Amino acid sequence: MPDRNGSTRARARTPRSRDGDAAAIAAVLRAHAEGDYARRVDAKALRDPALRDLAREVNRAAEKADERGSEIAARMEAVRVGLDEAIDAMVRLVVEGDLSGTLRLAVSDATLTPLIAGVGQVMETLKRFVKEIREAALQLSSSSAEVLAAATQNENSTSQQATAVHETTATMEELKGASHQIAENAQMVASIAEQTLSATRQGEGAIRAFMESMEKVRRNAVEVDEAIVKLSRRVERIGTVVEVIDEIADRSDLLALNAALEGAKAGEAGRGFSIVAAEMRRLAENVMESTREIKNLIGEIRESTHAAKEASDGNKRMAAEGERLGGAAMASVTGILTGAQGTSDAARLIHLATQQQRSATEQVVQSMGEIEEVTRQAQAGSRQATGASAELARLAERLAAMVQRFKVE
Amino acid sequence: MSDVHELVLFQLGARVFAARAADVRRIAGPLVEHEDEAVGETALGRPWDPRRGLVVKASGNERTLLVDGVLGLKAVPESDFQPLPRFVSDVLPTGALAGFAMLDEVPTLVVDLPTLVREGEPGAAGPREETRHA
Repeated sequence: MPDRNGSTRARARTPRSRDGDAAAIAAVLRAHAEGDYARRVDAKALRDPALRDLAREVNRAAEKADERGSEIAARMEAVRVGLDEAIDAMVRLVVEGDLSGTLRLAVSDATLTPLIAGVGQVMETLKRFVKEIREAALQLSSSSAEVLAAATQNENSTSQQATAVHETTATMEELKGASHQIAENAQMVASIAEQTLSATRQGEGAIRAFMESMEKVRRNAVEVDEAIVKLSRRVERIGTVVEVIDEIADRSDLLALNAALEGAKAGEAGRGFSIVAAEMRRLAENVMESTREIKNLIGEIRESTHAAKEASDGNKRMAAEGERLGGAAMASVTGILTGAQGTSDAARLIHLATQQQRSATEQVVQSMGEIEEVTRQAQAGSRQATGASAELARLAERLAAMVQRFKVE
Repeated sequence: MSDVHELVLFQLGARVFAARAADVRRIAGPLVEHEDEAVGETALGRPWDPRRGLVVKASGNERTLLVDGVLGLKAVPESDFQPLPRFVSDVLPTGALAGFAMLDEVPTLVVDLPTLVREGEPGAAGPREETRHA
């Protein structure tokens, strides 16, 4: 008799012995144990009734097992179809991104209920995730756009800042050079002021020496004046004496002339007398000639004395004027000395201040260089941030586009 | 006149004249012109600085001719005396010039002192009325 599945069932038809019957039953059981539930024991062929009953029970068990296997196969088929539908739905979900519907299977099997429920829960979870991701993607896109705008603005600001810092650094470099120049000039001014002060002190000493010399000149002029007065008086006395001598010489000359005249009148007798008179007259003329020379000399001495007196008076006036001018010069030099001292002190202070300014300017220049370097790095970082922001915005857009593919409503 | 003549040389103004020593009674010292016997202005001119006077006797009185100086006395041989040329004595305003003598090869006028002094007196006849030759 063919089985439900059409398979051929072997039956033992030949009566056998009891051992043979048992062996036949055992063979069928071994087949069942191996999963071949189509095998049956031919109970009619068995001699032993007990074994025949056993065989019938074995066959009925085989029938039951076979029926149960068919049921299980049917259910397995239904589950397979349900799984295929669920997988198709999941594939469609993944491929098409459509999460708007619910999973409905053509096969209804209680076994698939947890699966359907799980898939539905997964889809709901995915919907929620997709919604949240979509919102997050939108927010991310918006935020990344804002970040990009901010980064771009920051980059522009950083560039402007870098430009300003560069210009400031260049200006500070110029200021540094100017500070150097100012410091050198201040040092030169201080040196010149010191030289001026030293020269003014020398000038003060020179004026003091000049005034002392003027005082000596004035005293000497007074002494010379007194000496000239004495000399003039003595010359006058000499002149008086010379006048007397001249008068005597003139009278001697007159006497000699008269003597010579008388000698001449006396003729040959008076020749000797005439010779003596002539000699006397020659002597008198010599005296008069000498007195004339003395008078000339006295006249020259008077003129010289007068000139010396005038020169002495001039020296006294010049000395007094020199003392007055020296006093004025001393007063001026004292003022100049005070001013030069103040100038020297101020120049020294300016020199110190300019040195400090130069040092401070150099420090500022150094700091500006460091700031410029930091700003350059910040500019590079800002540029990188802008690039990263742009990349982030693109990624956000891509994410939004990808999430947009999922339909959830 | 002997072979040698003694002459008194005197200076009147810028010129040097000679006079016979015999005509000079003495030589006086400085005199003032207003003194009665002094004679300043003559036909020979006026002295610049009358430091000497030649005292002569004229018209019975002593008169002193004021001169600038007496240079001395000199013995001159007769041969060195020369009379004035006629045409010269005719044109001269005075008759007191007796001639000239060569003194050291320089012609020097010889003056007749008494005549010169008389010509200068008030009421004198004039220089040409009486001429005296050496």
